[in-house]
Amino acid sequence: MNICEMLASEFHVECCGKGSYVYVKAMKEDYVKIAEYLRNNGFKRLLTVSAIDWISKGVFEIYFIAYNFESNVYVKVSIEIPREKTEIDTLSTVWENASMHEREVWELFGITFKGNSMLKPLFLEDWKELPPFRKDFDWRKYVAKEYGLRYPPTPRLIVPKKR
Amino acid sequence: MRRDLAIKILKPFKTIGKFLTEKPMTFPFPPISPVLTERNRGRHIYYPEKCVSCRLCGYVCPNKAIEFELQGKDKETGRLIVKTQVDFAKCCFCGLCEDICPSGALELTPFPFLVAMDKKELCYDWRKLSEKPSLTLPSLKEKKGIIQWARSRSFWVINFFTGCCFIEAVPWVASSFDMERFGLIATASPRHSDVLLVGGYVTTKTLKRIIRIYSQMPRPKFVIVLGNCPMTGGTYWDSYNTIKQLDKYIPVDLWIAGCPPRAENIGYAVVLAMWAVQHGYTGKEEYINTEGGKYAVPRAPVRISNSEYVVEFGPQHPASGNFNLTLKLEGEVVKEAKPNVGYLHRGFEKLMEYRTWYQNIMIVQRVCVLDGAPYELGYAGAVEKIAGIEVPDRAKYLRVVQAELSRIQSHLLNIGLTAASAGFDTVTRMTWGDRDRILFLLEYLTRGRIYNIYSVPGGVRYDIPIDFKAKAMDVIRYMRNKLKVYDDLLFNNETFIVRTENIGVLPKEEAIKLDVTGPNLRGSSVDFDVRAKIPYEAYGDLDFKVAIEDKGDAYSRMLCRRKEIEESLHIIEQAIDKLPGGPIAQRKAKDGSSLISFLGKIPEGEAIHCVESARGELCFHIVSTGGISPYRVKIRGPTFDTILVALPKVLKGAKLADVPVIYWSFDNCPADHDR
Repeated sequence: MNICEMLASEFHVECCGKGSYVYVKAMKEDYVKIAEYLRNNGFKRLLTVSAIDWISKGVFEIYFIAYNFESNVYVKVSIEIPREKTEIDTLSTVWENASMHEREVWELFGITFKGNSMLKPLFLEDWKELPPFRKDFDWRKYVAKEYGLRYPPTPRLIVPKKR
Repeated sequence: MRRDLAIKILKPFKTIGKFLTEKPMTFPFPPISPVLTERNRGRHIYYPEKCVSCRLCGYVCPNKAIEFELQGKDKETGRLIVKTQVDFAKCCFCGLCEDICPSGALELTPFPFLVAMDKKELCYDWRKLSEKPSLTLPSLKEKKGIIQWARSRSFWVINFFTGCCFIEAVPWVASSFDMERFGLIATASPRHSDVLLVGGYVTTKTLKRIIRIYSQMPRPKFVIVLGNCPMTGGTYWDSYNTIKQLDKYIPVDLWIAGCPPRAENIGYAVVLAMWAVQHGYTGKEEYINTEGGKYAVPRAPVRISNSEYVVEFGPQHPASGNFNLTLKLEGEVVKEAKPNVGYLHRGFEKLMEYRTWYQNIMIVQRVCVLDGAPYELGYAGAVEKIAGIEVPDRAKYLRVVQAELSRIQSHLLNIGLTAASAGFDTVTRMTWGDRDRILFLLEYLTRGRIYNIYSVPGGVRYDIPIDFKAKAMDVIRYMRNKLKVYDDLLFNNETFIVRTENIGVLPKEEAIKLDVTGPNLRGSSVDFDVRAKIPYEAYGDLDFKVAIEDKGDAYSRMLCRRKEIEESLHIIEQAIDKLPGGPIAQRKAKDGSSLISFLGKIPEGEAIHCVESARGELCFHIVSTGGISPYRVKIRGPTFDTILVALPKVLKGAKLADVPVIYWSFDNCPADHDR
């Protein structure tokens, strides 16, 4: 039985993918339950927890990728949470290394993981702007404001001075 | 019996003969071929008569280094006639401009020597750009006073290497370029050093440390900057976390252009600096600008009790890299280790969202300077999956050659680093010198020494040179002999074994649970290698063994790397032998759109692609919405979990003196986990 059928028999999921890479879309409520289910079924390794900012839909996609040594399958499980209420349960109870990945997502996307005690700045010191990886934070505008360097969108055309 | 005696008697003569006939490992300076290959991507040359004023090179340049000078208007068509100029303070020598130029008016020459005291001099207008490049070294023979002469011959360089460009300072420490012949010595204490060498981009977090080190140095102090990022922002000109002009904060004496500047270019700068100091130059006027305390270093609280105290390991430590560990000690035993990262954070994933699919091929390998090739493979593989491209067989084999060469040089660097932290400096100089032979081969194949920019979505950029096979076989033979020398000096050396065995033990179950991969996992007797598990590129057709060791200590991990070098040599040999004919790139996606073009689009979709880098499993997750650039890229680097999660656990209970050995036995790449 492949992983798609296994998950479909237990949860309400949308599943696609063939071979070694499987992509699963799930309900927000099942997030931690699916993680536990996968861990108990041979997915011993968690590769990463991350997020995608779908600003036009007004949601954050939160996902994790896990790997199973026996069946040699990578599975990506994703859920969606609204952009206004950025809160989700932590996976650190399921996989130990999840808390460090969640710390990164917390810093770069501003998403709170309930139950994670490690939510402290990781890469940045004294960051006061919006979380930098959100789509509504424009880096080029920020760089122009902060460093006074304005790079033109098209290559500069220099008119030589007349002698 | 008699034969044994004869061998015994003849042995000293053999050694003397070898000593007399063996070529030195150090390359001559000024350099001659074969160190400087004719395939290197160096300074541009511009042919104004060939230029058709299409301005494509300016649009494709990811660093905005190419600008145009208006010459007039064509009377018949009304099109603008322009001449090209290149700012080498911004250029990253990726060669995208050369590739896109329809008439061959802009070409890259192998000339790497670009050094200036004023960075505005590095902006070449079209007249200067169309001149043939040539090198003149100043003469160091004339002497102007004993103090200046002595000062110029004894630079002590502080070894705080900030970014990726430090990788080209490594050959200068090694036997291959040997900076000690110029009187340069790397020193760890700012209070004893004359030269601050800023190696590459500077993040806001690193800048604070640089300012502190600069203020601690005695006068006269000289600041030499490698690379373009501290000059103008360089490749990371739109990153939110790197500073753009270093001379705003501290004075800079010498700018060395390049991305990264070649080792020869650094040598040229050293000669220039010596000449200047010999003629009485004592550095620019001193100033420090912390922008009203914004870039002042936060004070660490002093916590000393009778039994417990805190020691910082890095970021400015001879064996740390740009990475910091806060160690809580009881006596000599580590009670707690806390990694403090972010000194190299550029926000790669979002930088890639700002660049087109095509421009991203020149930025993606910059994630980890120590081993760039797998990042190209990972990115190209993921894009190919979304676009539905089947790569030609020839390109697959060439990619394998590139990736394996990159793996060997990364492992050699790591063996050197671990040996240095265990006190075996001889091996360090040797492995790093041998690494230059591999880099030479890598450059001969890909035209890039450190950043290859070779594997692109659809295939590879250049075909293999005709005499590559002969050159590769020479190097492979040389390396096999050298591995035996390493065995004698290091791996079978009792002192090294005592120093590395049974320290930093990572049990099998723990390694799997904490998501450790690569040689670190295989050193704990887990048979996991992406190349064997899910063969990508041509690995399915090649025969190789996965190196496994069972103890899980620092020695096992090192031995794994040593065995992997041997396997990689074997893989390269096979790949070159079996190399099939045919095209080297597939330029059309499944829906017929052209992929390898500046504004090429990719169909909607997402893909995960995992490859085996020198440090372990590296995964790219890319989401496309059908536009000209990615919507989201997630890079799952191999060191994030290893260093941030597993290392602190392993260090608990270790002796302080073992910390550098354990740390390097995990082969950290700070740029990889910071991204």
